Amino acid sequence: MLQFIIRRLLHSILVLLAISVIIFFSIRLTGDPVTVMFAAGEPSPEAIESVRENLGLDEPLPVQYLVFLKNLATFDLGESFRTGLPVTEMVVDKMGATLLLAFGGVFVAMLIAFPVGILSAVKRGTAVDFFGRIFSLIGISFPNFWLGIMLILIFSVNLQWLPASGYDGIEYLILPSIALGMILSGILARLVRSSMLENLSQQYVSTARSKGLKEWVVIMRHTFRNALIPTITFLGIQFGSLLGGTVIIEQVFSWPGVGRMIIDAINQRDYPVIQGGVIMLAMIMVLVNLLVDISYSLIDPRIKAGGGSS
Amino acid sequence: MKKAKWSFMLLFVVLLLAACSSDTEETSAENDSEIEVEGRENELVVGVPGDPQNWDPIDTFLLDWSTVATSVFEGLVDRNLDLELQPGLAESWEYVDDQTLQFKLREGVTFHNGEPFNADAVKFTFDRLLGEEGAQGPQQANYTSIDNVEVVDEYTVNFNLNEKDPVLLTKLAGYGAVIVPPKYIEENGDEHFNTNPVGTGPFKMTSYEQDSKAVLEKNEDYWKDGVPKLNKVTFRFIPEASTRLAELQTGEIDVMKRVEISQVESLKDHPSLSIQEVGTPTVYSLRFNTEKEPFDDKRVRQAVNYAIDKDAIIEEILGGYGEKISTFQSELSFGNNPDLKPYPYDPEKAKQLLEEAGVAEGTEVDIYIPGNDGNFKEITQVVSYYLEEVGLKANIESVDSNTLISDLIPSGEAGHMYRQGWGGWTLDFDNTAYLMYHEGEHWNPSFYDEEVEELLEAERTTVDQEKREEIFMKLTERLHELAPEANLYSEVALYAVHDRVKNFQPPHEDRMRLEEVTVE
Repeated sequence: MLQFIIRRLLHSILVLLAISVIIFFSIRLTGDPVTVMFAAGEPSPEAIESVRENLGLDEPLPVQYLVFLKNLATFDLGESFRTGLPVTEMVVDKMGATLLLAFGGVFVAMLIAFPVGILSAVKRGTAVDFFGRIFSLIGISFPNFWLGIMLILIFSVNLQWLPASGYDGIEYLILPSIALGMILSGILARLVRSSMLENLSQQYVSTARSKGLKEWVVIMRHTFRNALIPTITFLGIQFGSLLGGTVIIEQVFSWPGVGRMIIDAINQRDYPVIQGGVIMLAMIMVLVNLLVDISYSLIDPRIKAGGGSS
Repeated sequence: MKKAKWSFMLLFVVLLLAACSSDTEETSAENDSEIEVEGRENELVVGVPGDPQNWDPIDTFLLDWSTVATSVFEGLVDRNLDLELQPGLAESWEYVDDQTLQFKLREGVTFHNGEPFNADAVKFTFDRLLGEEGAQGPQQANYTSIDNVEVVDEYTVNFNLNEKDPVLLTKLAGYGAVIVPPKYIEENGDEHFNTNPVGTGPFKMTSYEQDSKAVLEKNEDYWKDGVPKLNKVTFRFIPEASTRLAELQTGEIDVMKRVEISQVESLKDHPSLSIQEVGTPTVYSLRFNTEKEPFDDKRVRQAVNYAIDKDAIIEEILGGYGEKISTFQSELSFGNNPDLKPYPYDPEKAKQLLEEAGVAEGTEVDIYIPGNDGNFKEITQVVSYYLEEVGLKANIESVDSNTLISDLIPSGEAGHMYRQGWGGWTLDFDNTAYLMYHEGEHWNPSFYDEEVEELLEAERTTVDQEKREEIFMKLTERLHELAPEANLYSEVALYAVHDRVKNFQPPHEDRMRLEEVTVE
């Protein structure tokens, strides 16, 4: 078991290294931050040179990368070109808001997908199932940018039930969570449905029924529980793409999270913030995947520790 | 079973339609009703698109900074909403000689932290701007004509200059030259100052949450009598325009900065909101690479100017919100020539000039534009249609905006024509003209003209504004004839304001002034 965990850890570190190389070099292909800083002013070549030197941009790229890597090992992500603040501090500040939003999204997805998926499976082939499947399809097809704006128009502007944007309390979390969780709920509902169907046809369900248990006890206590395992795994894996989705949602709802910080930083060529923000998001994704892997092998002993190649 | 399925599907479609139609009704009903604002007595909330993230004046170049920071910081000179220079923290000034500018400072002014404003504060501000700290930011380069600032007595300072700088006074009205508190910065450090700014302005910043909001409160000790009138101003940073509009429609904000042209229609007849428009110094042109054939011939450049119907572009794509320009500056800029008319739309003349220059029918023209500006892409498509009408074939290349600005344009690799937008923040043609037309400048990869060089040299070496204006008139005529760019329009900025806000005047250059504003 320990060997398995160590192997997964090493694997994760390799993934992070690869990500750091891609981020570091790709953002440096897209233009010079110093010229962008001067975009409105009157730069003299000497001024540009001195700013570049101050920011450490006069060193050769591989040297800059090694410095970045060395600092990364101690969680020192450098200082923002824009604000002069330590990037680690900036990211940690913003990460709370982003994680809150991501969990809000997962919560909404579960809230919608579980009942829809279970009902679809139990009432397979009926109108309920049909509706459930249409719903999943719609959920998957909505671009969340558009959905966000529609939610604002309906629930803030017209009905005036919820605030349109900002970050001042629990009611501010509702609309962005729905916008974020909607797509996931579509996929999740399909997954719940199919794994419910699979379990419903199992021997143990007939046994439970023949014991005279009430139908909903059979469904909820026996079938759903078993159907939950692949669902949770799926949620763990999807958490990464959910974090990616927060970038757009944060922009629409002016949510002060990491995604918005990265977008601003891209516009201003603030390298340390871009690479720091992306690396930290990547770390969280890798960490969640690692936990899912490990917990999976704990829950299901058939996945042999040490033997897994996935 | 099958029957049930179909009937449900039908029901679903009906429901969907019903939902859509009731939605539109509701939307229009809601948009037409008055917006109630609650719980904000004597408080104004402004929705702005961007958070500058750093409030230190020497670290910034962003218009979003000036929107907020104009209420917090002040310069020795003040440029008011009508763009006239007037005394700010200095009561008066005069040139002692050509290279010495003396300021008499206002007495009895204090910073928000209680520190006194005096000659030492002015010296500290400029030592910092011109020293090591300033070298790390983009503002220092604007003030290199200042050699040093000398304290004469507590309320008198001399600016000793390296060279004559006719634009210095107007530069002292903003950005890097606003006065900062010496003791506060020395005690708390630069990093603290970045997010906890202290100035002498009508409002003091009492809280700032990055990417969320900045809260400003009335400066009770402000040196101007009777202002500011508001107790509190909150700036909320809302990047998405439709979200900003939604906040305005729900009464959560009172003033919306940067209304998009597509949003104007929905606001036009609103009972409690109004649109305010204002001309800006920002201009947009398609500039030529004057070294690339066939645009090394001025007749070809003129032909393109004749070929484009600017009125149609402004009317159809910008909804009328734009002004024609005759040179690469707006009519707000010192040096603009009011007698000079923009090239009229005359395709016949264009064809004739192209023929004279020997340009073959179907000659290809590469136009580079930034990929993030959908509006301008539309404009370029219309331009390409006009060019086709006179026999030129345009290829539009949409590229990353930062790459275009920082790499392709300076290295002369942005095709035959490229979009350039220019803010003209000094409101004096000197800054624009020098950077665009002086040989070897960063933004000028290709243009050279002997006469233009002489005129630029001449306007830079005198501080006599009348003489400079005369020179600019000659310069603009020369540039108009040489046509180094196809000038399109200067931007009109749009603000949406709730009727409860009184005395709000939209700023030409994003620098919002709120001293006189009141709310009902």
